[in-house]
Amino acid sequence: MERGWGGEARLLVFLVDARIAGKRRVAREMWVLAMDAPEIAASVRAGQFVNLGWTPGPLLRRPFSVYRVDDDRIEIVLKAVGAGTAQLLDMDRGDRVSCLGPLGRGFDLGAGPRSIVLVSGGLGVAPMPLAAREATALGMRVTWVHGARSREELCTESGGDEVIWATDDGSQGLAGTAVAAAPDADLVLACGPNPMLAAAADRWPDALVAVETYMGCGTGVCLGCAVPLKRGGYDRACKEGPVYRAADIDWTALPAHLPYAVTA
Amino acid sequence: MTGMAVTIGDLKLRGPVLAASGTFGYGTEVPLLERRALGAMVSKGIFLRPRRGTAPPRIVETPSGMLNAIGLQGPGADALIRDYAPLWADWDFPVLVNINGESASEYGELAARLDGVPGISGFEINISCPNVEQGGLYFGNDPRAAAAVTEAVRKRTTLPVWVKLTPMVSDIGVIARAVESAGADALCAINTLVGMSIDLNAGRPRLSFRTGGLSGPAIRPLAVYLAHQAARAVNIPVIGIGGIARAEDALEFLVAGCAAVQVGTATFVNPRAIADVHDGIAAYLKAKGLGSPADLPRHLPKD
Repeated sequence: MERGWGGEARLLVFLVDARIAGKRRVAREMWVLAMDAPEIAASVRAGQFVNLGWTPGPLLRRPFSVYRVDDDRIEIVLKAVGAGTAQLLDMDRGDRVSCLGPLGRGFDLGAGPRSIVLVSGGLGVAPMPLAAREATALGMRVTWVHGARSREELCTESGGDEVIWATDDGSQGLAGTAVAAAPDADLVLACGPNPMLAAAADRWPDALVAVETYMGCGTGVCLGCAVPLKRGGYDRACKEGPVYRAADIDWTALPAHLPYAVTA
Repeated sequence: MTGMAVTIGDLKLRGPVLAASGTFGYGTEVPLLERRALGAMVSKGIFLRPRRGTAPPRIVETPSGMLNAIGLQGPGADALIRDYAPLWADWDFPVLVNINGESASEYGELAARLDGVPGISGFEINISCPNVEQGGLYFGNDPRAAAAVTEAVRKRTTLPVWVKLTPMVSDIGVIARAVESAGADALCAINTLVGMSIDLNAGRPRLSFRTGGLSGPAIRPLAVYLAHQAARAVNIPVIGIGGIARAEDALEFLVAGCAAVQVGTATFVNPRAIADVHDGIAAYLKAKGLGSPADLPRHLPKD
């Protein structure tokens, strides 16, 4: 921690001119991009994100959960959902990406729980490998439940002590949603489309969920990433989030689908 | 020797690059800031009372720009005085508060409430926010209303009063002269333009508020033009705003007649934008052998 110049205690944030170090496909149209960002790799926690900018690129940076960390490298997982992410996927090893992070508050795994279930849907797989690693380091038994629409869209990478697959069409694992397929545990983490998280909130009010929102700045100034709270008002996904206690969010007021990288 | 100091009315600033309202929070949030480069900061806009803001989605990216409809979410005057002004009092550059109201008297009341609070060095009257149901833009496109708001604030404070103008008018010079006559110390031009973006799949606007304020490089040529028009219309300083991301962008506004500039949306993209713009201006002045931003040539044709 350092003292921010405004008097706020804040976590260290780095701006790294990161070299792309690798790219691999983990599902249909889903890729993992590795980049060299030693300062971020050394300090990022599960559920935190980086804000990426590149040239030529869209105007605004794009937020991505950190997927894995390997020595000096961080990885993100992405799909080409708009012009911006398509440009990012077109980049090659050796190209440079401006990487701001780590940002946001990650999963607080606490000290109490002995078993943990990670529930991910689609790109919601993004924060889970780091969460699995941290949970294992804390001595928890890790069950990972990953869901997608079909076998082709399931991320081929997973971890933990037990892996459960779920597909909407039943082409792999259990037929149905990841939330329905998941067993109970002392602690549940979930990430995926907002309707999936709303379903998780119904089943596990105390689950910790990482929400998806549009972001302008990623650092807490623009208030663009407003998350509606049950107790009233909004707070910022980039600063107080993106991880929340599931029951604290007003899911009826959170937009159901937010494709990133829209350049309208 | 090149100096970067500029004077806006009675306010002496160490540099011509300021942080724009709404893109800099309360000055405590932005990471990696090099404060040496900051001439002044204009805080996020506030009303007298706390405001909840609009429902998400609140922002959407557009070609070279961004639409926002935050709705002036904020803590209100009491919380501002309690939580932020004491921090600002210790800073080595002035902080101006962007003030808002639903009536001229409410603007005046807010200014009076904040007047004399240590840490607050002046006001930027927002008569141009497109994202609130009442107030905002209404005051900005009517010269009498704009003057009435300015006068209401002027009467309740001895601090510098800046007025932030909207581009959504047919002649910005008319509004500029009206608020100058009403006692403004400086003008800020421009605020965002009203814009809209439609999600074709859903068949509805991308923003929950339907419309939003357009900012970013997309608006820069218009902003340079309108800041220039405003500067020609008045004898008080004009602070240029609109799509400034690099020193060259800021220099356009300065050559167009502005005394200083504010950097906004660019801060989201580049956390070091203010320092980069400041340092680039300094390098340009030095390379041209100019002593200060006020020495920039302004050979602009008359019309």
